[in-house]
Amino acid sequence: MKLIIICIIQLILVPALSPFFVGIVRKVKARLQNRRGASVFQPYSDIWKLLHKDEVISEDASWIFRYTPYILFSITIIVGASIPLFVTTFTNYFTSDFLVVVYLLALGTFFLALAGLDVGNAFGGFGSSREMTVSALTEAGLVFSILVLALTAHTTNLFSIASHIESLTLHSHAQYVSICLAFIGFIIALLAETGRFPFDNPSTHLELTMIHEAMILEYSGKRLALIEWASANKLLIFISLGSNLFLPWGIANSIDSADIIFSLVLFLLKVTCFCVAIAALESSIAKVRYFRIPDLLLTSFILSVIAIILVI
Amino acid sequence: MDHNQIIDKYVPKNTKPEISGNIITYKIYSNNISRVVYKLYHTDKLPLKTIAATDERKENESFKIFYVFGVPGENIFLVPYLLLYNEEKFPSLAGAVHETAEYERKIKSFFGLTPTGHLNPRPIILHENWPDNLFPLRKDFNWQERPETANTPYNFQKIEGEGIYEIPVGPVHAGIIEPGHFRFSMAGEEIVLLEPKLGYTHKGSEKLFEILPLNEKVRLSERISGDSSFSHSLAFCQAIESLNETEVPEISEYLRVIYSELERLANHFGDIGAIMLDTGFNFGGSHGARMREIVMQWNERLTGSRFLRGVNVIGGVTKDIPPQLKDELLQEMIRLRQDFTEVIEIAEESSSLLNRLERTGILEPQVAGDHGVVGIVARSIGLKVDARINYPYAAYDKFPFDIATEKDGDVYARFHVRVKEVYTSIKIIQEALKMKPVRSVLVATKEISLKKNCYAIGITEGWRGEIVYFAATDSDGNISRVDVRDPSFLNWMVIGHAAKDYNIVPDFPLINKSFNLSYSGFDV
Repeated sequence: MKLIIICIIQLILVPALSPFFVGIVRKVKARLQNRRGASVFQPYSDIWKLLHKDEVISEDASWIFRYTPYILFSITIIVGASIPLFVTTFTNYFTSDFLVVVYLLALGTFFLALAGLDVGNAFGGFGSSREMTVSALTEAGLVFSILVLALTAHTTNLFSIASHIESLTLHSHAQYVSICLAFIGFIIALLAETGRFPFDNPSTHLELTMIHEAMILEYSGKRLALIEWASANKLLIFISLGSNLFLPWGIANSIDSADIIFSLVLFLLKVTCFCVAIAALESSIAKVRYFRIPDLLLTSFILSVIAIILVI
Repeated sequence: MDHNQIIDKYVPKNTKPEISGNIITYKIYSNNISRVVYKLYHTDKLPLKTIAATDERKENESFKIFYVFGVPGENIFLVPYLLLYNEEKFPSLAGAVHETAEYERKIKSFFGLTPTGHLNPRPIILHENWPDNLFPLRKDFNWQERPETANTPYNFQKIEGEGIYEIPVGPVHAGIIEPGHFRFSMAGEEIVLLEPKLGYTHKGSEKLFEILPLNEKVRLSERISGDSSFSHSLAFCQAIESLNETEVPEISEYLRVIYSELERLANHFGDIGAIMLDTGFNFGGSHGARMREIVMQWNERLTGSRFLRGVNVIGGVTKDIPPQLKDELLQEMIRLRQDFTEVIEIAEESSSLLNRLERTGILEPQVAGDHGVVGIVARSIGLKVDARINYPYAAYDKFPFDIATEKDGDVYARFHVRVKEVYTSIKIIQEALKMKPVRSVLVATKEISLKKNCYAIGITEGWRGEIVYFAATDSDGNISRVDVRDPSFLNWMVIGHAAKDYNIVPDFPLINKSFNLSYSGFDV
């Protein structure tokens, strides 16, 4: 019985909480900018509203445009259920391999880029072109930073990695250094993958500067709701990876009720800290010039490579 | 220099100059106009203010074209004009003086007078669905009848080559801004060519100026470009006051300075914030918006209008600043200055912000000079042009200041010119509040009877740049023509130049914001 409940929580935690954390980022940003800001539950209302709206779909749209939101949303649900959130006991999942997770998310990006091109809108076209450039450059940093952990833990299963890193003792200084480097590399990749500062501005209205938003300009109604929800899921997935792979302390290793509740609370706290940090970052710096994005992403890659050398 | 000295210095000997108020008009024959304008522009280095046409076929069967030059420091305007008797052609001067090109296009579109030898005679403002044989500023144009919808293709400039693609943007944009179409020709992310196509907010204002009663003309001038309501109506009122020889009471001259500077302050705060916001530097963005709002609320407290509308009337202003409000406003200025300094200090320490602003959207001095740019854009490349100093109006001669300039012509230069001007404006407001006479009559009581068959110029420095009004009266002393030259008319022409080469599409919104031009002011 307890196992079933844990399984259900594991399955719905990401989609259920992701709009809330988007709301937190927005709220903190608003407070940092002297504004009152909307309620942290506003993203739920937005999704609810969009789900009840009619859609306009271009006559030129093919099946790619129509199905991409479903593909994208399903992928984030699958990935959300196969990463360590608050317990590390699901080690037998096939989809918990870190390469599977990274490339499932890349599959979503691939479809989204195709959908951006599909309707022939000029904004969608350059949105896709930019997204592909950025994600191609991010991929190396993302894979290599998690690879550092995989090499440390001698496994590519994310749950096993989390429990292994948690059990690391303070004697292994070199490993901590490499994990720290990889963590910085991962954070840069996280910001790029989720379309956050300094790479992309999720709250801009300037079409010409958009990356992620440019691809989804043609969407409306239910499909837009799904895409927005999927983006929120993606943000929570990356934050969870960051907090549970690199800072897994406190994550439950058994299905003991007390452990799990403690672990859940700690998880929420960690994610909230990440959200506050992202909001603070977005309020204090400007977006980088588009042509300087590769510099930053290369930094992420190099940090991860150094970390790998230290581990080996 | 007085009028006679200026005539001796600049006006050709074989002409008969007529002096009226602050303008000197003299007739030039069309075979001579190119030489005369060339000399005034290139040899005497006088700035061209506007070129306006009038339809005087009823009085003397002719069209006239006025070439308005300013004499900086003197507040006197030299206006050689062409008389087109039974003729609908005039020589294009674009080859000799580049900035005449756009005025000539406008005269072609609105009067149907053909500039012969013009290289780009495409219609301006009226395009595509406007019939090409209908000229709205001619007197025989029936403004109450809806013209038939035409369908003439608009020829964008084309660039072809491998990998070049076009992005059409607008006229409807995602933000709450005015409509305008931009056609980008791109190589990857780099802008090869940018052509703005405007005219979507054309309201027929110049025709309306001929029709509405005088009081409503003033209200109309406030609506030429909403964010410059006060400067526009001030320029118009000054033109009419000059035609009527009205002496504006001293107190109103000071109040006009104070309100003009409040308008500038509000817009500069807004723009400085918006430039930072467009780079994603949200801290600066929200503080800019906050400080703008403070000034806007002051505008409302002082005059009842956030945009200072209904304040200017012919002969003065309608709202005084009572003593207790004056003290409060002085306190507010001190607070704002301190606030602003703190915000700018933080902004200038942000390397990520400076990185976006510096070397973005550089405007070459040559291009700027050829197009006769004005205002902030001109000052950002080091040109010392400011109507407050060059043609002192209202009480500006009592407040000398250094014209704020920068030299690089990039987004940062335009940003920083605004920063400097904020300090100047605060200083002027403080001084003007202290020097303003207390309680007296605000509006001159002189009855309105305008000089007949006469012309006048009204010029002010709006926050974007110089606003020029040219007004003409007919033989009954009624206003027969008002030509509006918003600074945006000239500055829109260079934005394509500032945005191309080395600039990439994601930087265009920032470049555009640093110009922040008026669509409505261009489209009139």
